[in-house]
Amino acid sequence: MIRETAALTRRELLRLARNPQAIVTSLLLPILYLLLFGQGFNLGSLAGHGLPPGALTALLIGAPSYFSYFAAGMVGFVAVTATLFIGANVIFDKLFGILKRISSTPASTASIFGARLIAGSIQPIGLAFLVLGLAVGLGSLGLSGLQVTATLGPIGALEIFLAVVILSVMFASLFLAIGFSIEQPQTYFAIVNAINLPVLLTSAALYPWGTMPHWLQSVASYNPVTLAVEVIRLNLFAAAPPYYAYPAWVYLLGLLGWAVAMNLIATVLARRALGPRH
Amino acid sequence: MSTGEAAAGAIVADQLVKTFNGSVHAVRGVSFAVRPGEVYGFLGPNGAGKTTTVSMLTAGLEATSGRAIVDGLDVRSDPTGVKRRIGIVFQESTADGDLTGRENLELAAALYRVPRAEVSSRVDGLLERMQIGDAADRLTKTYSGGMRRRLELAAGIVPSPRVLFLDEPTLGLDPQGRAGFWKYVLELRHEHEMTVLVTTHYLDEADGMCDRIAIIDHGLIVASGTPSELKDRLGGDIVTVRPIVPNQFLGQVLEKVPGVVSVGPQDGAYRLKCSNGETLVPAIVAACVGAGVGLQAVSLKRPSLDEVFLEFTGREFREDEGPTATDRAVRVGSVRNRIGGSR
Repeated sequence: MIRETAALTRRELLRLARNPQAIVTSLLLPILYLLLFGQGFNLGSLAGHGLPPGALTALLIGAPSYFSYFAAGMVGFVAVTATLFIGANVIFDKLFGILKRISSTPASTASIFGARLIAGSIQPIGLAFLVLGLAVGLGSLGLSGLQVTATLGPIGALEIFLAVVILSVMFASLFLAIGFSIEQPQTYFAIVNAINLPVLLTSAALYPWGTMPHWLQSVASYNPVTLAVEVIRLNLFAAAPPYYAYPAWVYLLGLLGWAVAMNLIATVLARRALGPRH
Repeated sequence: MSTGEAAAGAIVADQLVKTFNGSVHAVRGVSFAVRPGEVYGFLGPNGAGKTTTVSMLTAGLEATSGRAIVDGLDVRSDPTGVKRRIGIVFQESTADGDLTGRENLELAAALYRVPRAEVSSRVDGLLERMQIGDAADRLTKTYSGGMRRRLELAAGIVPSPRVLFLDEPTLGLDPQGRAGFWKYVLELRHEHEMTVLVTTHYLDEADGMCDRIAIIDHGLIVASGTPSELKDRLGGDIVTVRPIVPNQFLGQVLEKVPGVVSVGPQDGAYRLKCSNGETLVPAIVAACVGAGVGLQAVSLKRPSLDEVFLEFTGREFREDEGPTATDRAVRVGSVRNRIGGSR
């Protein structure tokens, strides 16, 4: 099974590497957000208009600036936008007969699904760390930048890494589940659009937590994007209580629950799509 | 079908049935046995059930009922085992356009667990053999139609299958491409001692390349045997007599001509089966003239699979087709067959 999975993963990565436009496009979106939205949405300027000292940090649950808060949220954003294509690829592979060829071979469903999951998660994971690095770098260019106010130890770094990996796997599973059960690209993109925005807008990826209405806070607390970015913010800004009720591993565990559930659903749907037709 | 027959066959279909959505009867009870090393042809028009049958035999589609055995394994109970022993060439192109020819074959080799030490030599050998060695490291989306077909065949052969399934493998190829494709298939079949099941709606392919054929129509096998057996069953040559004005008594006149085996109406004309048709034509014309019937045309055909198809389905092969691109290809094939004459 390892050999088949490796060969299929190689195939997915070769295709990705041969499509530089897709890579540039996926980079462009987070970069534009960091350069334009992050810079323009200058919540800190409110402090000059009579906001009491420390109030902004409270609104941003421990983050030193909105940009810092937002940069951590962008990790959740790229996990959604960069995993999208892996589900679309399933549909195009169906349309071009490639999936028919692959499923006619003795390769197991686990290999076929697993390879797509691995390949689909690699890009958002890479992109997430690129976004964090870029956000830190912008600070040294005289722009708003990501300020890490905590001492980031190896455990904190590992927690951030795990949050990014699990969130990417979760969204890759979600989009693979949709890709395996849908036949037409138009339908796929319609469904994905209907999911993306609500998922991001009911999370704490972009909004300052303190300005969200309570009902939205309640919804957002269970959102997997929130769970992932909370792990990142907790570790980058030393934002322990009173801002966060639990240690980072609790949020990680919640996120893992989402990922496992999504993965199970996707596996069932992939098995159905790849097995003999009825 | 006895157990002995099942054991002897490289492919055995026993009363295979496929019904879609409870009402579309695609295959209605197909039974046949292909002997090891044989090239067996499935001949029939679009929608006859050829691809559906192949899909059931290759574990791509679950049969509604019936049993399929491939290389001794039951397709239903051991689909993965069957997949390990077969190669498939689909009618559509299934190669990955974003990979090179070599990468496509290497991927296939890994998925079939070809021993690692053999992958490189096997892939290189096949690429050379299929005359795509020079383009081996080009993305396959730049390949011509013929090259793609040859790559598909190479991908089907990579696992060194015991049984090779070819589903309309030469669809859309020009005559030269088709001839070349078959040359490879027949060579490989001898070298690898493969059994080959091919579906086609090119009559000349079925006639020339297959050891035995089954004619499938509306989900049923209507006739099977070697091409010459099937043609012999027609009872000789076919003479078609077309009067200027349709004449209902002409059939009775023609039946009385010595040497005519049978007479049947066909679109205002009469279709006569007779041995030695060439020498009988003058007598047939004379009988018509004697009966006062003016003739528009008289044609003589040696037995061909086209005639066999007509005999067993009641329709001419080419007339059964719709106006799709695939169908146009059939017409070309059918016409080509007629122009080329029968074997």
